[in-house]
Amino acid sequence: MTDLVVDNVQKWLGGLQILSGASFVAEKGRIVALLGASGSGKTTLLRCIAGLEQPEIGSIRIGGATVLDDKAKIALPPEQRQIGLVFQSYALWPHRTVFENVAYGLKLRKIGTGEIKAKVEAILEKLGLAHLAARYPDQLSGGQQQRVAICRALVYEPKVLLLDEPLSNLDAKLREEARFWIRKLILDLKICAIMVTHDQAEALAIADQVLLLKGGGIVQSGTPLEIYSKPETFYAADFMGTNNVLSGRLVRTSGQDDTIDCAGLSLAGIWRDREPPADANSVRAVIRMEAISVSPEPSPDGAPFDVEGCIYLGEKWEYRLKRGDLRLRAQGHEPLGAAIAHCRIPASATWLYNP
Amino acid sequence: MSLAAQAPRFRATVILALFTMVAAPAGLIIYQSFLSAPFFDEAARPSLEAYEFILTDPEFYRALWTTILYAVGLVLIAVPLGGLLAFLITRTDLKGRGWIEPLVLVPMFLSSIVLAFGYTVAVGPSGFVTIAFRSVFGAAPWSIYTLPGIILIGGLSHVPTVYLYVASAMRRLPSDLEEAARTAGASIWRVSLDVTLPMVLPALVFSAALNLLLGFETFGIPLVLGDPNGILVLTTYIYKVNSIFGAPTYQVMAAVTVFLILITLPLVFIQRRLLRHARRFAAVGGKGARTNLLKLGRAGQAIALSIIGLWLLVSVVLPVGGVVLRAFVENWGEGVRLSEQWTLANFRAVFAIESLSRGIVNTILLAAVGGALAVGFYLLVGLAGHRNHGRTGTLLDYSILIPRALPGLIVGLAFFWLFLFVPFLVPLRTTLFSLLIAYVIVGLSYGLRIIQATLLQVAPELEESARTAGATTFRTWRDVVIPLVRPGLAGAWAMIMIVFLREYATGVYLMGAGTEVIGSLMVSLLTSGAMDQIAALSFISILLTAVGLTLALRLGAKIHD
Repeated sequence: MTDLVVDNVQKWLGGLQILSGASFVAEKGRIVALLGASGSGKTTLLRCIAGLEQPEIGSIRIGGATVLDDKAKIALPPEQRQIGLVFQSYALWPHRTVFENVAYGLKLRKIGTGEIKAKVEAILEKLGLAHLAARYPDQLSGGQQQRVAICRALVYEPKVLLLDEPLSNLDAKLREEARFWIRKLILDLKICAIMVTHDQAEALAIADQVLLLKGGGIVQSGTPLEIYSKPETFYAADFMGTNNVLSGRLVRTSGQDDTIDCAGLSLAGIWRDREPPADANSVRAVIRMEAISVSPEPSPDGAPFDVEGCIYLGEKWEYRLKRGDLRLRAQGHEPLGAAIAHCRIPASATWLYNP
Repeated sequence: MSLAAQAPRFRATVILALFTMVAAPAGLIIYQSFLSAPFFDEAARPSLEAYEFILTDPEFYRALWTTILYAVGLVLIAVPLGGLLAFLITRTDLKGRGWIEPLVLVPMFLSSIVLAFGYTVAVGPSGFVTIAFRSVFGAAPWSIYTLPGIILIGGLSHVPTVYLYVASAMRRLPSDLEEAARTAGASIWRVSLDVTLPMVLPALVFSAALNLLLGFETFGIPLVLGDPNGILVLTTYIYKVNSIFGAPTYQVMAAVTVFLILITLPLVFIQRRLLRHARRFAAVGGKGARTNLLKLGRAGQAIALSIIGLWLLVSVVLPVGGVVLRAFVENWGEGVRLSEQWTLANFRAVFAIESLSRGIVNTILLAAVGGALAVGFYLLVGLAGHRNHGRTGTLLDYSILIPRALPGLIVGLAFFWLFLFVPFLVPLRTTLFSLLIAYVIVGLSYGLRIIQATLLQVAPELEESARTAGATTFRTWRDVVIPLVRPGLAGAWAMIMIVFLREYATGVYLMGAGTEVIGSLMVSLLTSGAMDQIAALSFISILLTAVGLTLALRLGAKIHD
């Protein structure tokens, strides 16, 4: 069942357009990640769904009810939208205990004291916070505060759970744990969740669907797998992963792979842009770092590169390679001893785009 | 449009009510100034007579010139001295900084009528110190009833306002800015000159503008010290103009006020701009806890302590000591041993006169209960303006500015007129509510600033999270904002209480039988020369202020903003 419909949401701040017609739907029991660089409008879009910001154009439906429609002049305030929002700073009320923080949403919904107690205790128990119910937020660790914030947003069973960079204030180890249990929790509860993040690994790990935002619009939407392995624009391809970006000239011969000529090297590749080439003299190739295989031995389909340096990264080595004006980053498990290394760049991993 | 657009009706109602409360007295004064007679007189016609009168009155020009001299002189004394004190106390290892600081602020908490009276009885022509000095040296070579004397006393009593702004700017100054200069090779004195001074310059300029405004609106000090020699400033000219004509001449008083507003309103706007500029400077942020204090050295300590000691002697010990001494003696003079003159007669007299003892009770009521009501009102206004970036927010901004351009004497006068002639207000005139409403307007900018600063400390997400959890705007205020600012409200109450305790000018016209307050009683007693009673009342006023201040500190009021 579709729990959230966002249709053509546009917002201006003064003369500047922050959201330029974002549209998407989200289903019950699925997690949608709004992924983008800072300034891409992802947090504004989330705040528009929550009713904390008011877009000038567009409509939003939550759980079948219209909460925003510029044509019908509907704009429900946040408290009438049946949402739960987890803030980046958690925003726990410092003057209330953990129990009171979590119980507040139920109290506003005029639920009996006994039932409130049962529900709050159940959810605190579920997230391993039962023993902290009487504490105040400043007596909790960051990870505990985050879980309280999630309890507070979930306890009254909102139609949509909104999470604004929920993991950014946790340290690296806790963050990796949280990715796992937050996903599990939301799938268990079968609610619709929208998460804002600037961290692609986080989006890929948690979400069922990733929306990549740029300049207030959605550049591409798809499953984590599609977003990572089938980007349809140069921006999407370059945003995800660690990449080599080459500029050059497109050469098309019928019956053969497309090739890109850049700085004296001719690379076979495949056209991945959703648009046809606009200018054959100016195209970009994106090659994921992990797609290049490097060996010290020459091979028939490999090209020789000068080795500029090797950087040890713990689980792997990063190679800095050079051939004329062309520079590449690649990786492997051994340091390169020789001054020359041979790179194999598969055509299937050389994605060509309009710039 | 964001959350600010919520609860618009409440916001608009409160802000319009406030605007009416502020605009009505100001508008009435301007209207009155263009009439030929009091506005309630049927013979009143539109006329420029009042302006003609003052523009041809040499006395007015003299008062105007004196006011300008007084305001400028006050700034020239208070700003360097306040800046120096702030520097010594916040940036050096001065001995006894801890207990000197509260003493420095004392003159700010006392009403200037009490201060001025204190100077009269200490160093006036027949003051304790003057007499003692004369009996030892044969003559006392000073006179405080002259313009330089008045300016000097005015300047010294305004040092705390400068101190407060400059000291807080110096404390806010991030220490890494100074440390960067030191590591670049600048000596610690050099750093003070090249980094500290330019960084606190906005605060110095702002406090200069503020004191210029206070100088133009001043009333108590010139009234007490200037009157004996006929030295008038604009406010005392307004006060005295009735006695020149022998009958109330409201149109003349109003016309002079309009002139005064023409001077003060631009000053208020300049201040507003300066404050914004100063904020931008302060926004650099940074950590407190400064480890590197300037070492003054032995000679430096001696010089610094002498400067501060001398200032404290003149600004605090003389007036306060004078009042305390005078309150307990009836006779003094050359050859009289004060130790044989101790008496409680002055207090007995005060308590025997019904209007005076009622004045004490009224003052306490107005300060404690009225102060609490005022905080409640300021909180409503503060919430109405809280995260309000709409048109009503702008109206609120300007509403706050208007009363700052009006001296308390004038606000009191205008409200007196309103309470006389606005039908539904008439029954309130004989109650303390009339004074309370005027006090609320006089204290508006100060009180609201405290409340707004407190409200801004509540992080926006704390409110937004209540909204998304299902709470309406009002519910959010009730459940989140107000509980979080409650400790700040207690402090604000205590500070407002002190402001109301020391207020004297507002009640001069407004108070009547049954609504007397200490400060305004002293103003009217001055005319009759009942020095014994003034002394006792001044002492009580100091005592009440001390109680208020203790309470404020207990409740954690922030004297520094």
